[in-house]
Amino acid sequence: MTYRVGKLDVHALRGVEVSVEQGQFLAIMGPSGCGKSTLLHILGGLLQPTSGRVIVDGEDLMAMSDAARTDLRRRKIGFVFQRFNLFPTLSAEGNLRLAEHIHGNGLPTIDDKTRREVLKLLRLENKMSHKPLELSGGEQQRVAIARAVINRPAIILADEPTGNLDSENSTVVLEMLQQLNRELRQTIVMITHNPEAASVASRTIVMRDGIVVKDY
Amino acid sequence: MDNLVISNIRQRPGRTLISMAGVALGVILVVLNTGLVRGMLNERINRERGIGAEIQFTRKGSSILSPSSVMSLDTRYSERLRQIPGVQMVSPVGRYVQSGRTGIGVEQVDGIDFPSYSAISGLQIVDGRIFENANEVIVDEFKARQGRMGLGSTIEVFGRQLRVVGIYAPESGARIKMDLAGLQNFLSAENKCTFIMVKTDRPENEVPVQQRINKALPGNIVLLTRDISEGFGRAIPGIDGFVRAVLSLSTIVSTLVILLAMYTTITERTREIGILKSLGASKRYIVSVIEKEAIAISAIGVVAGMIIALVAGWLIERATTLQLEYHWSWILIAVLIGLSSGALGALYPAIRAANQDPVKALSYE
Repeated sequence: MTYRVGKLDVHALRGVEVSVEQGQFLAIMGPSGCGKSTLLHILGGLLQPTSGRVIVDGEDLMAMSDAARTDLRRRKIGFVFQRFNLFPTLSAEGNLRLAEHIHGNGLPTIDDKTRREVLKLLRLENKMSHKPLELSGGEQQRVAIARAVINRPAIILADEPTGNLDSENSTVVLEMLQQLNRELRQTIVMITHNPEAASVASRTIVMRDGIVVKDY
Repeated sequence: MDNLVISNIRQRPGRTLISMAGVALGVILVVLNTGLVRGMLNERINRERGIGAEIQFTRKGSSILSPSSVMSLDTRYSERLRQIPGVQMVSPVGRYVQSGRTGIGVEQVDGIDFPSYSAISGLQIVDGRIFENANEVIVDEFKARQGRMGLGSTIEVFGRQLRVVGIYAPESGARIKMDLAGLQNFLSAENKCTFIMVKTDRPENEVPVQQRINKALPGNIVLLTRDISEGFGRAIPGIDGFVRAVLSLSTIVSTLVILLAMYTTITERTREIGILKSLGASKRYIVSVIEKEAIAISAIGVVAGMIIALVAGWLIERATTLQLEYHWSWILIAVLIGLSSGALGALYPAIRAANQDPVKALSYE
């Protein structure tokens, strides 16, 4: 696929071809500006490529309207961001409920047992009443991960999830992503600058100047 | 999602307060103005109906309903009216209109022939005595109570201080009454009056008597007292236009305040819109979140506006002779204006938010 930015005709992605198997944990590495985030946004339906095809679980994002891509994101994709992107006015529980609400189109879709399992997995049982600013960076990122996985999406797209964390919290978050991948069989695509972070993935691709230069 | 709405309202108290104030202002404008218009009209209508006469005879340019002091009807019509079959009693009334004591509204003074007026309306002196010369007036109980007037107090009429010598009941016509001859003298309108009250021998005869008067004295206005409410609406120029202007102004004020407040909020929350989009929230969902927030703020504004309007109305009634009358239909209109202007004002910011580029929104600082 190709993605062109602005009037200067800068190609953020140039004919990238990547195939990710179901249940795979893929790390994407590369220097700043190499197109990692653009690729992740295209995979999540937040951007549309200028040309090419993006197939997610058998559905072609290029053939979809904006509304259909949004719907696919709601049903099948969970995002984790470097800056956590939690709603500061809501408690941790409120952030999770909001994701559930959007996923279920206003109807409850997650039972208490599932919610408890996810919270236990992410060690968040006692943090649910806290607002994001009352939590540490690691705890905020765990809440963000919980929000991304609570609806059991097929794919987790993580944009430098450890970029704002110290090494201890980074390790905890990476272990949890690994555990989620293993136990919930969710496909994870994670952008990172950190080779140690990439090492927890089952596969790594390296990008430079909008193309994939290494895949191992 | 409802938590998001409530938490946003609580998180930005300044914005919430300003938006609420905008909606409340609209509600206050509608409730107070329509309350005043209705109160003043109905209070006058009730007093006009209280005069006891079934028919009021007047002529163009000298209408009982007109807020002017023109006395162009010859009192000698009284004699001719008295001769018409079915007419039991008549009483000429002169009406003088001056600006209110507090500078708000108007104040009317009726010049009456006490014996005939009293016979028709049942007016009685409850304290003091009737006027005996042009420098004396009588007032009704409401006027005495509201203006804190007692016997011996003075009232300014025609720029002169007239003494209150009696208090009467029940309320009918103007609240201040003086001798008709004195009023004619003040206005240099000898043998003139504003209208003539006509009492029929039997109330059910009012329509045939009205027809007979029209036939005998064509070219004049012969009004049934029971129809007077319709006449008042027409007689006060621009009253409908005024009410419409108040409604439009209220809607515009509330809509603009909500629009500006929500627009600012949406700009502040650009990143949050991006998060919602990354979670898979549809455009409709985002619009509904913002609309719910605006409607919730408007609802609080409506309640606050109602309370303030009712308290302000109570204070106005205490401080002036103005009376307010609320009607459920206008309360409902005020509520609808408050809520719909909130929804309308939030629509553009909501649509703008829903159409934001999710990637740009997520990177918004």
